Amino acid sequence: MINNLSLTIGWLYPALMSTYGDRGNVLALQKRCEWRGIKVEIKPIDASSTNSDLASCDLLMMGGAQDTQQEVVAEDLIKKKKTFSELIEKGIPGLYICGGFQYLGQYYQTADGHKLIQLGILNMYTENPGGERLIGNVAIDAADLFGKQTILAGFENHGGRTILGKDIQPLGKVLKGFGSNDKAGEEGAVYKNTIGTYLHGPILPKNPELADYLIGKALEIKYKEKIELVALDDLLENEARLTIVKRLGIAL
Amino acid sequence: MDIALILFAKIFSFLSKMFNLGNGSTWPGHIALSLKPSLINDILTKSQTQTIIVVGTNGKTTTTKLLETILKSNGKNVLLNSSGANLLNGIASSLLLNSSIAGKLSCDFAILELDENAFPKLIENLDPNYIVALNLFRDQLDRYGEINTIAKHWKTSMQKLSKAKLILNADDPQIAYLGKDTKLDTSYFGLNERFVETKTMPHAADSILCPNCGQALNFKGYYFSHLGIWECPDCKFRRPSNVFSSFSDYPLQGTYAKYDILAAVLTAREIGINDKQIVAALKEFKPAFGRQEEIVYKDKHVQLFLAKNPISFNQSLSTVKDLGAKTLLIILNDKIPDGLDVSWIWDVDFEQILDKNVNIIVSGLRAYDMAVRLKYAGFFVHIAQEIDEAINLSLQSLEKNEKLYILPNYSAMLTARKILTGKKIL
Repeated sequence: MINNLSLTIGWLYPALMSTYGDRGNVLALQKRCEWRGIKVEIKPIDASSTNSDLASCDLLMMGGAQDTQQEVVAEDLIKKKKTFSELIEKGIPGLYICGGFQYLGQYYQTADGHKLIQLGILNMYTENPGGERLIGNVAIDAADLFGKQTILAGFENHGGRTILGKDIQPLGKVLKGFGSNDKAGEEGAVYKNTIGTYLHGPILPKNPELADYLIGKALEIKYKEKIELVALDDLLENEARLTIVKRLGIAL
Repeated sequence: MDIALILFAKIFSFLSKMFNLGNGSTWPGHIALSLKPSLINDILTKSQTQTIIVVGTNGKTTTTKLLETILKSNGKNVLLNSSGANLLNGIASSLLLNSSIAGKLSCDFAILELDENAFPKLIENLDPNYIVALNLFRDQLDRYGEINTIAKHWKTSMQKLSKAKLILNADDPQIAYLGKDTKLDTSYFGLNERFVETKTMPHAADSILCPNCGQALNFKGYYFSHLGIWECPDCKFRRPSNVFSSFSDYPLQGTYAKYDILAAVLTAREIGINDKQIVAALKEFKPAFGRQEEIVYKDKHVQLFLAKNPISFNQSLSTVKDLGAKTLLIILNDKIPDGLDVSWIWDVDFEQILDKNVNIIVSGLRAYDMAVRLKYAGFFVHIAQEIDEAINLSLQSLEKNEKLYILPNYSAMLTARKILTGKKIL
């Protein structure tokens, strides 16, 4: 057993990429570490950060943004692409929501047909066909990630439809709601320890299994051994998730 | 055609009230508008009534109420769109019900409170006398979309106007942008006092990029969220300098209310009412429902502070803290008027604003989401999902002479208010 565990959580573009409660994901990771005696440093990563700032992170989180903000971030992100890509390939866990998720793919095609080249780290692309956004409460089963039925619940609100390529798995099967695209019945993506999803809510506070999954992986990569996490009392978190699951009429 | 429509609306509304068919306030307008889309414009142009439009994410109802108070106490007849009916349907209904059979209004002023999407639609066919624009914050992304898009849409729609006088918030870059290069008569309000924040950007800020050129704005300081003294380092677009920024009397607490008061007073001045008359009128001011409204219930004092998005929540929290609140009841619903997505509660600064020893009760359809939010902010809370039960529980925990502060979002406020007053508003 290793004493004095610590993690550095890199919060990517907190000022620009934080539309609707993404701070909650960082807070969930931070508190769930601190309640277990794991020391946490939250490191904001933005245009003023260097590549070595980014490389010092054990766990990454990036939220979504409005279109204008997203363009500003894209300009800076391209400068950090090499380091970023190395971290993801090395298995540094990360959670990428909505706009943050779309950046990881090959391209984003806008409603008027423009192809915006993205980071190209994950084999997937996003197209916005125009028309209706996909909006509403959503629940998915992330059985593949957890090895058993695990319902994750949140709120989706996106115009883009993301299509996964080979060697990349969805995060879960859609039980109710739309998912990454309204056709395949799948939501999000998993590549190594990188997780992309359209679920807001924010996702981690009321889906504590996913928060603990990311924390566990981050510790495992950093300390090169599997570290058992102490169980926490998740009564309120589970009730918050059940509120949505019940509302969607999903039988448990 | 018009006479038939007006008769229909009046009869429909009468019947729905008589048989208590629920919300009679927007249906007549809905049906009439679908039969005659130009209806609102027709009635207003036929009448001698001056139109004042109030837009913005937060403070519309309070600003409208302030203006109504000032105008009425100065002998003007005023028409409002009824509470919460800030879509075109609601406005059409108000006009129909208050017009003569010939489709004419007899009032001097119509103050129309409009939501973010209804405003550009209304001014497609109408050149109002005054437009009061308060602020643009993130609110219900699932309904309104992103604020940059809203601001652009407003600016484009306003290009067609020729007579409207603009009353704009200079401290909000997106709102001040509405006055840039316009031929319309424009005046500004804003604050001129000590900054609350000077260095770090408050988290829930929205408008940090220049609405004119897209560069990051420089802020000398903030009053709250993205409202402050700003300038673009690139295109040099900056906060206007000639700004109405202080008044002798403020009938409501809090920084956010100050903006509403300045906006209402500046509009009243533009209309030609002098400061002495304004001050006298504001002495009679009573807050709009749920906005700092005080109610006595079961011999206890209760005050409602509508808290419907991160900005109004933060401002309400700061205000009740300054008032010495010891017991708070927070009610969170996710009905259609509230927005279905409650993610925004994570952008509320509970950690920074509240003392850890405050007694908190949470309630509403999404009580557990609020409980989780507060748990991660380091607070222990009591949970009672049913609102009536939560109110009783909260009252029981009050000390003698202690006041209960309730922070509800929109539909929660309507329910809480109905319980507290025994009356229904909508």
